[in-house]
Amino acid sequence: MSHPPDHGVSRRSFLKGSAVAGIATTGITAATKAAAGPPVPESFGPGEHEITLSVNGAKKRVKVETRTTLLDALRDRMDMTGAKKICDRGACGGCTVLVDGMPTNSCLTLAMDAVGTELRTIEGLSNGDNAHPLVKNFVTCDALQCGFCTPGMVMSSLACLEKRGKPTPEQMRQDLSGNLCRCGTYGRVMEAIDKTANGGGK
Amino acid sequence: MKPFSYVVPKSLDEAKAAAAQPNTLIKGAGLDIVDRMKERLQTPATIVNLLPLKDELKGITVEADGGIRIGALTTLTEIENHEALQGAQFEGLVGAARTTGTPQVRNRGTIAGNILQFTRCWYVRSEAFHCLHGGRGPTCLAMTGQNRYHAVMGWSDCVRVHPSNLAPPLLTLDAEYTTVIGKETRRRKFAELFPEEPRAENPEHTLDDGEIVTAIHIPQQSKNARCTYAESREKQSFDWATTACAIRIVMAGGKITEASMVLGAVAPVPMPRPQAAAMLIGKEPSTKLFRRVAEKAFQGAAPLAHNAFKLPIGKAVVRDALEQATR
Repeated sequence: MSHPPDHGVSRRSFLKGSAVAGIATTGITAATKAAAGPPVPESFGPGEHEITLSVNGAKKRVKVETRTTLLDALRDRMDMTGAKKICDRGACGGCTVLVDGMPTNSCLTLAMDAVGTELRTIEGLSNGDNAHPLVKNFVTCDALQCGFCTPGMVMSSLACLEKRGKPTPEQMRQDLSGNLCRCGTYGRVMEAIDKTANGGGK
Repeated sequence: MKPFSYVVPKSLDEAKAAAAQPNTLIKGAGLDIVDRMKERLQTPATIVNLLPLKDELKGITVEADGGIRIGALTTLTEIENHEALQGAQFEGLVGAARTTGTPQVRNRGTIAGNILQFTRCWYVRSEAFHCLHGGRGPTCLAMTGQNRYHAVMGWSDCVRVHPSNLAPPLLTLDAEYTTVIGKETRRRKFAELFPEEPRAENPEHTLDDGEIVTAIHIPQQSKNARCTYAESREKQSFDWATTACAIRIVMAGGKITEASMVLGAVAPVPMPRPQAAAMLIGKEPSTKLFRRVAEKAFQGAAPLAHNAFKLPIGKAVVRDALEQATR
């Protein structure tokens, strides 16, 4: 694996013209500097290089390949194993993380695509014994059996609450429709969302 | 996935130049492409990531002539929620967007990605099977194999179905699409996006290598136009349609004055059914009429060994779309 030299600042000019402007401190280390003359777009890989991801409010530098998915970057490179790799094809929701507040399958998202976005994972919902009310309500409502789908289920539930305030059961069903639970705890998950919406678990 | 180079263009010009290189794939969200790369069905040397070009390629705008422009990178969630698309004229498009995949897929998946996606045929999508599609083998394995989710009409040598559920409503709305390639900008009718004769060696779309879809255009719709969409599925979420139908009708004085109908998930391309739609013109909506129209829509359909169920269900879906449109 080749490690391209760190040019750092060249990323700033790229950010100016794109919609990720304003998050200019986030950087990809460019493999090549754009030369003068005809436009030569920035290119990365195929080897490893360093990117910066914003996860749960903290900037983290991480070495990835261009083919590394966001899920693999989180689990294997950043030691954040909350998001689960189950189907690895966007068909189960176990890997759900929030990208700019939106539930996303991290298994189908390249880590490179997450540069310049705000990522939130299940790890951001607890601080030692002090957990987010939603997480506490998952426990008190017994909203899990084997627990493997739970990190993804919690992130979709969180997005549902943030988007809708006090979601109706129909809205919960719609927002959770991308998360499969083999144990069938959907009813309890909806209870946990409802309880959180009504101020429980604080 | 095999290793690849990842190109981040700063402008559409840079994207065009990068897309013209050999063995290069262009991606938006890349949901389908990442999936295919994981299966090693696609092993590009280079991926051009269009996501940074949000300013040029994303968003929904109402144009001066009353038409609506949907940027290629506009997500299905944005289509679902945009105020310019809330009228009955676009109900079918919004409904199709809302029933696609899962919230996670809709939050990332783009309109261009949806209409250009690869077939879901399980033989085509598995590295283990060498089927006729793309010249990987000598025969279409689905034709005589497991074909529950395959075509019942419009096929020649490959019985895959077109998976896009946005394509049927866009066709009924007489949409157009703009592409760029080299120095050229092309704007064409939506029907031209799909091959006339969908053979195994043809891709799902008619784009040239390196051609980039930049926008979809929907012409201004009359006030009393209505577009609806209905589909059958085996699950309420996380599923592709087994049959689908988009209808656009215009009513005046209790009678139908304009009608178009496109079936989805029954053929290798979205299937316009102009003869069935023509039966509606000048008529008052009735259950009896809708039954005859639904029969006509599936006239000539020839099911394979395991998908005869698509005929009665597909006809019910046609009637459902018609009932919605005339309610």
